[in-house]
Amino acid sequence: MTRVIEVPAHFDDRTFDNFAEGLGDWPPEQKLLFDARGTQWASPYGLIGLLTAGQALVEAKREKPLLTVPASDEVKRYWARAGFFQQAAELFELHGKVPRAAVTGPSDVLLDVTPVRASEDVHSVVDKISEGASRILHGELGLEMKATLRFSMALSEACQNIVEHAGTSGWVAVQAYTFRRRLGRRVVVIAVSDSGVGFRRSLESTHAKRFGERWGDGAALEAALIQGVSRFRDPGRGQGLAFIKRFLDQWEGKISIRSGTARLAIVPPWDEDVPLTDRLPYFPGSQVQIIIPAQQPERA
Amino acid sequence: MIETIRIGRLLREAVAAPYRNLVTRPTGAAVRTRIEETLARSSCLTALLDFSEIELVDLSCADEVVAKLLLAGGHGYFFVLQGLREDQHEAIDHVLTHHRLAVAAMPPGQGEPRLLGWVPSDAREAFACICDRGPLGAGDLARALGWLESRSREALRNLASHRLVRPVGELYHPVPTA
Repeated sequence: MTRVIEVPAHFDDRTFDNFAEGLGDWPPEQKLLFDARGTQWASPYGLIGLLTAGQALVEAKREKPLLTVPASDEVKRYWARAGFFQQAAELFELHGKVPRAAVTGPSDVLLDVTPVRASEDVHSVVDKISEGASRILHGELGLEMKATLRFSMALSEACQNIVEHAGTSGWVAVQAYTFRRRLGRRVVVIAVSDSGVGFRRSLESTHAKRFGERWGDGAALEAALIQGVSRFRDPGRGQGLAFIKRFLDQWEGKISIRSGTARLAIVPPWDEDVPLTDRLPYFPGSQVQIIIPAQQPERA
Repeated sequence: MIETIRIGRLLREAVAAPYRNLVTRPTGAAVRTRIEETLARSSCLTALLDFSEIELVDLSCADEVVAKLLLAGGHGYFFVLQGLREDQHEAIDHVLTHHRLAVAAMPPGQGEPRLLGWVPSDAREAFACICDRGPLGAGDLARALGWLESRSREALRNLASHRLVRPVGELYHPVPTA
C-alpha cells in the first residue's frame, strides 16, 4: 500500500515541520508518494528538503518513492531551472510532465540544486557562486564588497559540514528572492541539507556526557552553534558556524539549523521565529538555512 | 635567506585543477604538506607565503595552512604572509585569534607589515615600533614608547615567542622580508 504525503502549497522552512510530520515514524514501512501537484512555491530549503527525504528513504532501503510534479507550469519551470528535477530523477519515480531546464541568462537562482558528496564538490560550489554572489549581494542587497567573500566562506563551511560530519552526501542551493510577508525586502538564501547522522549522533561520543539528561537534538545544536564544539579533538575545529553567526549578526541575517527533532535559530529583529524548538516531528540528517537580507538604506 | 612559496601554485598541484579558492580541510592539509616539503629542502630563515593568486581563503584552510604551520613550531622558520587583500585577512585573523597565534602580513606595495591574529596590545605596539624604527633593544623600545623597561622587555619576549621578531644578542630585529 502506498501512503500519500502532501507537499505543502508554500513549501519553506515554516511549513517543513508539517511535511516532516507527514512522514510519520521513521523509517516508514509503506511506500510513499510525495504529492506536489498543489505546490505553488518552494524555497531552496523546501526543494532540497524534499530531495533529502528521497535520499533518506533510499538509504533506509525502502522502496523508491513516487513524486507527482507540480501541476502549475510556472512552478514546474522554476523547479526545473533550479535543477531540482535533474537530482530528483535519481531518487523518485517522477509522475507528470517535467520541463527541460531553460537557460535564460542571469536569474535569481544563484546556485542550482547541487549535490555535495566530497571536498571537490565544495570547490566547484564556491567557484560557481563567486560571480553571481557579487552581483546580488553588492548590487541588489547593498552589502559591502567584502560581503561576497564572507558569503562564499559561509557557503564553503556549511557544505563542508556535510562532507566532514554527515556520513553521507547532501545538497546545497542558493537563491535570491523577495520576502514579501516576513520582511518586505530582497534576501539571499543558502540552503544545505543532508540525510546523515545529524548533530546529536555526530557529537554524542565526545559531548553527551557533560549535558547529562539534557542531551538530545536541541542540546547538540546548542553545543555546535552557540558553543562552537566539534566531534574532532583538533582545537581548530568548530569555528565555521561561529564565524557565520558573527557576520550574520552584522547584517541582521538569520541562521537556522534543524536536526532530528529540534531546530535552533539565531533570530534577527525582523523575524518572529523562536530560538529553540524541540520535539518537532523527526526528519533525518541536518538542514541549514542562512538568510541574508538587503540592507536598509541607512545601514548600507 | 627568504623562501617565497606561491600558494596558488601549490593549490593547483594539490587539487589538480585551476581553482583559485583555498577551501576545505583536505585541500588545506595538502597545501600545508607541500609547504612543509618545500621548507624541508630549504635552508631559509623566512618563509614568505604568497597568496597573490588566491581568491578566497576559508576558515578551514586558514586553520589547516596558516594556523597549523604556526602551531607546529620547532621548525625555526619565520612565517610572513604576502599578497593578501584586505578582505582576505578576516578568515586568517579569526582563526589565529582563536588559537592565540599571530603572523605578520605584508601589504601590497611597500607598506608596513600588519599583525593578523592575537598578541597582547603591548606586543602589537612594540611590533609596529620595531617595523618602523628597525632593530631595538628593551631600553630603546621603552624610551620610544615611554614605557618602563620591564614592560618593553615583556612585550619583546612575547613577540619573540610568536616568532614575530628575530632576537640577535640584545636587539630584536624585524623579520626579514626582502
